[in-house]
Amino acid sequence: MDLQAQQGLMSTYREAWRNRGVVGWVASAALVTFYCLLYWTDLFDGVSVAVGLRNKWYLYGLIYSIGMSAGAVYYLRRHGNSRYNQLRMAVNVSVQIALGWTLPFVMPLIGQPEFYFGYFWPLKYDYLYPHTLQSLPVYLAVYTVVGSLVVAPAATIFFGKRWYCSWVCGCGALANTFGDPWRHLTSPSTKAWRFEKIAIHSVMALAFLSLAVVVAGQLLNFKSDAFYQFSESVKSWYGFGISAVLAGVVGTGLYPLLGPRLWCRNFCPMAAMLGVIQKAGRFRIRVKPDMCISCGNCTTYCEMGIDVRSYAQSNQSFTRAACVGCGMCAHVCPRGVLRLENHFDDAADKQRQGLSAVDY
Amino acid sequence: MRYVIIGNGVAGMEAAVALRRRDEAGSITLISEESDHFFSRTALMYVVCGQLAHKDIEPLERDVYDRLRLQRVRARATAVDVERKAITLAGGLPEVPYDKLLICTGSRPRPAPFWDGYETLKGIGHLVTLQDLDWLHRELHGAAPFDAPERPTAHLPHSTSDSPYQPRSTATEARGRPPQSGTVIGGGLIGIESIEVMLAAGLKPSFLIREEWFWPIALDKTESAWVAEALRHHGVDVRLGHNVQGFEGDTHGVRTVHTDQGSLPAEVAVVAIGVVPQTGWLAGSAIERQHAGGILVDPSLRTSAPDVWAAGDCAAVRWADGSVRPEQLWYTGRDQGRIAAASMVGDDTTYRRGTLYNSAKLMDIEYTTAGLVNAGLEGEEEWFFEETGRVRSTTRLVTQGGAVVGFNALGRRWDHSLIVRWIEERRSLPWVLDHLHHARFDTEFVPPLVIPASARPTP
Repeated sequence: MDLQAQQGLMSTYREAWRNRGVVGWVASAALVTFYCLLYWTDLFDGVSVAVGLRNKWYLYGLIYSIGMSAGAVYYLRRHGNSRYNQLRMAVNVSVQIALGWTLPFVMPLIGQPEFYFGYFWPLKYDYLYPHTLQSLPVYLAVYTVVGSLVVAPAATIFFGKRWYCSWVCGCGALANTFGDPWRHLTSPSTKAWRFEKIAIHSVMALAFLSLAVVVAGQLLNFKSDAFYQFSESVKSWYGFGISAVLAGVVGTGLYPLLGPRLWCRNFCPMAAMLGVIQKAGRFRIRVKPDMCISCGNCTTYCEMGIDVRSYAQSNQSFTRAACVGCGMCAHVCPRGVLRLENHFDDAADKQRQGLSAVDY
Repeated sequence: MRYVIIGNGVAGMEAAVALRRRDEAGSITLISEESDHFFSRTALMYVVCGQLAHKDIEPLERDVYDRLRLQRVRARATAVDVERKAITLAGGLPEVPYDKLLICTGSRPRPAPFWDGYETLKGIGHLVTLQDLDWLHRELHGAAPFDAPERPTAHLPHSTSDSPYQPRSTATEARGRPPQSGTVIGGGLIGIESIEVMLAAGLKPSFLIREEWFWPIALDKTESAWVAEALRHHGVDVRLGHNVQGFEGDTHGVRTVHTDQGSLPAEVAVVAIGVVPQTGWLAGSAIERQHAGGILVDPSLRTSAPDVWAAGDCAAVRWADGSVRPEQLWYTGRDQGRIAAASMVGDDTTYRRGTLYNSAKLMDIEYTTAGLVNAGLEGEEEWFFEETGRVRSTTRLVTQGGAVVGFNALGRRWDHSLIVRWIEERRSLPWVLDHLHHARFDTEFVPPLVIPASARPTP
């Protein structure tokens, strides 16, 4: 049977491993160690070849897919009675297995480059570098440019950034599945929100600036060798600092301590860019007036640390740049106060609030 | 100006925030025995089962008292001297003088004729206060909640023994193991919440309901049967038409609950037979109350005493149907707090309650209501539709004289605000059914409610 609301009760706070207990710290330390070994040693290359995978990134992709699938099972056991959650999980896992692992593995076998269809600039920071585009076949170069600069922003206007952050993106999907046990650890405090705004927009600015420098460097390298060298070092420092340290080691390594969307919320340049577009788009969370009982389930289970309750209890429908539209606030609300929607019809809204009910 | 508010609950806090917005300079003092921080009483069950922590059920960040310069006195008010304009506190604490006073002391559990109170047997309690939450969590899980504050006694050296905020010892501690059986007495919302937390703790509790079906004030027999079915599906022993007569046990705590139709094992029991206004402490004060305890207020929520207002569960207000009684709802408490604050700063304002509405979740079944249902109106008629298949839902519309006056729905989400308006606009049944899809509030991808022509009312 199809029921929308959460079924049964959760025991989140009675499980120490989910509340920064010893197991949580150990798990976090293990994840951080794993990412350090993955990024900066050759340890996994040997293992990969031994199991028939070409390099450590395929092994990582395999582990990633397994972690996500196991997490999806956990997630669906807790929240799987809702159709939104069922569909979202199905898409997330399919995208990861098909676009995040199988295709990149198969393509080199048929003479094509290893390419990740699920990622776009600026998350995949090197996709718009002139040298990258030159190295790709035309159809992939077009896919990358049009996908990053046209399709992703346009889809965000219509559906909010959730179409990417909660349905397609591999980082988001891992957070929603493997990271789900710790989603309540994301801090909803005003302080955390202040940090988020500064941090994520700084990274977005860095992404734009570094792209500009690298593009200039790669296109103008014949004029100034020194500038080309500078642009190449910007490129590698950005890759090290943002992609390896913040997205991998910190972003995923600290799931069990600071919640699963640490990277998405505070550092992801793609999330920042789509968030700005989302504010001007059609996605919103609608609040039923005067029905909220301020229980706090929405705020607690928001993985982005949005204080959803503060909007619900003041009868304010809202669109927050950070919201990835996972739908959990609406799912756990015991009064059905919240609804995710793409509102196309402002006239109907006005009638809802206006005095005449005759016309709708 | 010295504003004093007795009660740190939703009405009191809403009033304090509204007062500060209007009066930058005045001093605002909140007196509360129960808690240092405003919390959502409606969320207690989620802390009992571990879905939320203590801090999660606080709707405002804790620095709100500093930011808005709200002083707090953690004490039990015992009387109001309306002549000298001063509040007496328990335990010989200094009096608190006021210029304008707002009483928001809320409700307390309705005394049960079959239970003598905490002193007699361990393992029996209510689910109304923070101390009840602490008690039930320790009873069911053998430990205090995840982030429980220091034991409340630390704050209350002056509390009185009859205070409902006294911490209590548990049968689980006395017996040395958690309960193996449980019972909940009272077929209402707190009752079903208590059942849910017992289920979450692994018990298969019995549910003792005096009436012929669960929650007859809000549901009809068919709707209620679905809720009972859901309860039984989870292993709850639902006993309708049972009158509880008493408890039996030993020094370890309660063992058995006796009813007029036999006895059942119960090593933990929650009594949830409703609440009454918490106004007994005003017995010696010159503030008029109803026989049932509600503080009498005028339309601007002033009491019979000068410069004293009352709001929330403890105030008896005039309902849309003309009766005068307390409104024990979260959103009405908020509204009343806001209106009382406006009246206290001198606005000419009145509290007017329109069409009633509410929502709840009964086990896994969502419930929305608006207007008058189960009211037994003269000449009322009912239209009922049960949806089966991918989505299970029920929709019941009550009409009187051709106009829709009431709405009751289970299983789906509805925007009550539109339905309330249709009721106020006296829309006909066919009109409401034609427009019902506008009030859909289901989550995305849930198929819409389709009412076949054969189920529609014949013109």
